[in-house]
Amino acid sequence: MARLFPRDGAVGRAVDLRLLRRLWPFVRPQRGLILASLALLLTTSAAALAMTWVVMLIIERHVEGDSSEGLGVLLAWFAALALFEMLGRALGTWTVDVAGQNALLGLRSTLFRHLQALSSAFHDRTPTGRVVGRVTTDIEALQEMFSSGVVTVLGDVIFLCATVALLFTLHWQLTLAVLVVVPLLIGLTLWMRVRVRAAYADMIDSRSRLNAFLHEHIVGMAVVQMFTRERRVRSAFGGISGDMRDAQLRSVSWESVLSASTELLSHLTVALILAYGGSLLLGESLATGLTLAALFAFIDYMRKFFVPLNDLSLKVTVMQSAMTAAERIFHLLDHDDFIPAPKSVVPLPAARGAIAFRGVTFGYDPAEPVLRDVSFEVAPGERVAIVGATGGGKTTLLKLLTRLYDVGEGSITLDGVDVRDYALSELRSRIGIVPQDVFLFGGDVLHNVRLGHPEISEAEARAAADRLHLDQVVARFPLGYHEPVRERGANLSSGERQLIAFARVLAVAPAVLALDEATSQVDTRTEHLLQDALHDLTRERTSLIIAHRLSTIRDVDRILVIANGRLIEQGTHEELLRAGGAYRRLNELQFVSDR
Amino acid sequence: MRRELPFLLPFLRRHSAAYVMGSVCVVASLFLKLRIPALLKDAFDVLESRGPRGREEVFTIVLWIGGYSLATALVRTTSRLLVLGSSRRLAHDLRAELFEHLTRLAPSFFVRNPAGQIMSRFLNDMQNVQGLVGPVILYLAEVLTLYLIAIPMMAAIEPTLTLLALAPFPFFLYASRRIAVRIQEGSRAAQNCLGEISARVDESLNGQAVIKTLTLEEAVSERFDAHCGRYRSLNLAVTRKRALLIGLMVGLASLSTLVVLLVGIGRVVPAGAQGFTLGSMFSLLFYLGMLTSPTRTLGFVISSVKRGTAALGRLREILDSEVVLADPPGGPPWPRVGPGAVELRGLTVRHAPLAEQPHLSGSRPRSLGDEARADRGRVVLDDVSLTVPAGSTLGIVGHTGAGKTTLVRAVAGLQEVERGQVFVDGVDVNDLRPEDLRAAVGFVSQDAFLFSLSLAENVAYGRPDAPRESIARAAALARLEEDLDQLPDGLDSLLGERGVNLSGGQRQRAALARALLLDAPILILDDPLSAVDAHTAEEILAGLASYCAGRTTLLVAHRLATLRHADRIVVLAEGRVGESGTHAELLADGGTYADLWERQARREAAREEG
Repeated sequence: MARLFPRDGAVGRAVDLRLLRRLWPFVRPQRGLILASLALLLTTSAAALAMTWVVMLIIERHVEGDSSEGLGVLLAWFAALALFEMLGRALGTWTVDVAGQNALLGLRSTLFRHLQALSSAFHDRTPTGRVVGRVTTDIEALQEMFSSGVVTVLGDVIFLCATVALLFTLHWQLTLAVLVVVPLLIGLTLWMRVRVRAAYADMIDSRSRLNAFLHEHIVGMAVVQMFTRERRVRSAFGGISGDMRDAQLRSVSWESVLSASTELLSHLTVALILAYGGSLLLGESLATGLTLAALFAFIDYMRKFFVPLNDLSLKVTVMQSAMTAAERIFHLLDHDDFIPAPKSVVPLPAARGAIAFRGVTFGYDPAEPVLRDVSFEVAPGERVAIVGATGGGKTTLLKLLTRLYDVGEGSITLDGVDVRDYALSELRSRIGIVPQDVFLFGGDVLHNVRLGHPEISEAEARAAADRLHLDQVVARFPLGYHEPVRERGANLSSGERQLIAFARVLAVAPAVLALDEATSQVDTRTEHLLQDALHDLTRERTSLIIAHRLSTIRDVDRILVIANGRLIEQGTHEELLRAGGAYRRLNELQFVSDR
Repeated sequence: MRRELPFLLPFLRRHSAAYVMGSVCVVASLFLKLRIPALLKDAFDVLESRGPRGREEVFTIVLWIGGYSLATALVRTTSRLLVLGSSRRLAHDLRAELFEHLTRLAPSFFVRNPAGQIMSRFLNDMQNVQGLVGPVILYLAEVLTLYLIAIPMMAAIEPTLTLLALAPFPFFLYASRRIAVRIQEGSRAAQNCLGEISARVDESLNGQAVIKTLTLEEAVSERFDAHCGRYRSLNLAVTRKRALLIGLMVGLASLSTLVVLLVGIGRVVPAGAQGFTLGSMFSLLFYLGMLTSPTRTLGFVISSVKRGTAALGRLREILDSEVVLADPPGGPPWPRVGPGAVELRGLTVRHAPLAEQPHLSGSRPRSLGDEARADRGRVVLDDVSLTVPAGSTLGIVGHTGAGKTTLVRAVAGLQEVERGQVFVDGVDVNDLRPEDLRAAVGFVSQDAFLFSLSLAENVAYGRPDAPRESIARAAALARLEEDLDQLPDGLDSLLGERGVNLSGGQRQRAALARALLLDAPILILDDPLSAVDAHTAEEILAGLASYCAGRTTLLVAHRLATLRHADRIVVLAEGRVGESGTHAELLADGGTYADLWERQARREAAREEG
């Protein structure tokens, strides 16, 4: 089973200047907020350091010494600093998160629009699951970079330096002794983090395998049961779930060891301060200048010193995943698989619907042409059928016409203008395609007809739908046109879905109507509903009709026969039958099979 | 909580030893850890009194501190390994149990509840339950023990001061719990919104062809931006509360220090004297430091308990779903399916109204309003009686929604039916073991669902140990042979999820081969070749003639020509048997069937003229 669900990515570097430079345009508008939170971090940290100092002074003067003057002032200072720290921390947390949310809102939107602009070639070869992950999980990893405070890591560094400086003024020998612990702590946590992270990556990986397996088997449970595979499937699931458990156990072990050993180190530091500081204090010469209060301050400062230091290793891993995520996001943004825009915009003729293919050759893989040197013309208002065996290139003709792909050689013109000279949106609004597999969006029936198209009013959408007798169908739904469409239209029959696809195309009122096996899934009754409407609709405009069942296209103006990527015959039904070529053979085959 | 916990008990019991040991370790580690501030007090007292043996005494204390720290680290690690580890093992047990239950649920369960809903039970709810039986138990135990041990120790040092310093704690605990609840609610809302965002992206990718040809790029992008904007504000709402909580936490720590200084300063006596020394004050401050941050987490932990039990409730919902495929009562020997005679006696299937159908909570369509409540359900099959003798072929015709699929699903055991309505070889299907019935039926449905296994494994799905020749033979019968050349490894080619790398027609033929390989006495073909071109479909069905001989065959088809040779044909209309008879009889009757035939024949005739 494992081979079917490959791993998703590895661990990257923590800092990658190239990626940071690319992130900058999104972060730049937020620089005010980021600077503000940096300032807040520094001032509140300073306040925290000052508080310990004040406590030290209070103890030195009023406990070890015996004066009672000025105690009130010091306590008031402490309270003021505490209040400042409280507000500063709250505000700092908030500002940096706002900055992150704002920056990533822009990035997410850019990414989504980029995806919409990418060519069909890209979408056809890229698994959707991965791409969805870019827009969701990966952006979240970048958000984590803000909320965990990586952005203000500079503040942490300044804070650490300031603390060390302060400790030096307090007692430099003791400071030097204590700082021995720091490299130990950094080394240990970094070393362990790497392991925690590796275990975590295993866990994520096993979880996504579990998800994939679960999803497949929930959707296909009827088949599992039908073929009594329950036992095998259960044990396969048990295996995957067990893998996940084991990865979790590894990650739990490392995390437990890590958290316990950092705590151990901080306790040992206290012990160190007591041992060394204590012996200095007890030394005969009082010239060392060390007081009990200073010793306490030392311990307190080290505690405050440990917090960002501990976080630092955590931030490294956050940064690693953020960089990995950024790498993937920008990799996606670097795809420039666009259908090229026209160099100069041609003044557009009024839409009539004249189509001409001239010497068109094309292959999804250029080495294997799907269409070879295909030429034909379709007059405005003409009804043309395209027939031929599956895989012969019929659907590809439509994809080229709407520029989902661009021709390899030759050219295609619509109303005398090369399709590559139209603005894409202009071109596509002139051609309406009803596909074989209807895709429905979340929302209600009416939304699926209008699809948020700004030019189509609700009334127009309803009119288009009514014309196809969709009103008779929706009359059966409790909510009529506002009946919600479930995931992929699960609550509609294939015929109903097909009607919606027709309505959605008609609402745009295209000059060219292309039907790609559009009626193959429609049952007899729905076909009946469609028949009249279709007759009118195809009469009003140029129509290209791809059909398997030859009986449905008998009355078109012309029939093109495509075989192995070449146009081999064209003519009316009668002409082609008389010619006694491929069409006649096709016809006889179907006739025999229909008998 | 009271209802959910007993359900969890058997799972907890399996790991009870680890949990008990873990709890003992939690208590032990806290006892060890909380000795450290007391040792600090001793050290400061020694330093202050500057006795002659001060140096040795301090060193002894320092060694003790080192020893206690080391012991704490070891015991603490052990406690975490035990408790958190058990929670992971327990979650695995629970997942396996849940999945096993899923495999026993009747197909209707999966029709009613979208896959996403069931998935979310396994992912999100399981996560919360795992949290409940792991970190949550651990933290609760730790924090409670911490309070229980630390407070007496502090009181022993100076009761009044302890009381005053801890006075803000209950207030803080209350506030942090309320904020934590709201943070978690907010996070969940944000998470849902992220789910919506992910659904939008997924949809836009799958619907690319439509989006591009209808130039909807701008419209979907705007819709997407609106979702993202909402997501941002939901997140910021959470951040505001998080910031508030952090502020409160910082404030609490300072407040208790302030109280100790304010009240304590005047009371300090020199070391050596009995009472509140400087060392006592320091150790009190250390104790307070140890209490503040767990108090903050406590708010989260308490609200996680609520979340965890709610999740547990939702998991139970699945385990409590009763439509379970169980062996019929009475025990073995169970009746066996013989040659496969099928009989329907007044089969009536009514889909319950939307509002009455048992749904997993949350999986009900959102817009379920007055209109849906007015939905009184729909009779799909209405008093259908039929006899299909063993070895004969029944053709079924009818419009979309006439009940054809429901009828054949009822025979295949994929649709729950009332007792006394569907019989196979004279035995009520409800008295057959589900697996026996299914082993007797080869079923091919309209949508050919394949698994991400190799093509051969898919064909052999119902008979994993089938020899290679049988697999190849079934594939040949379904006319898959020619397609094998196009696949990288022929029969051994791996299929993507749901067979994405096959065409619709190839998938359907693979599904047909899968059913043929079962070699079952009953074969049900529910419009199995809709995506295969008419010519090939006809050839396949003709090729099946000898396979079907001696098997009971139910064949649903749109094209009447396919059914002509059936021993009998029924025309379903609105859930009733409209007409029934042989092809010739039905033509002679001049009813719906004759009409349909006429229409299809006219097309052919027209072609003939040409």
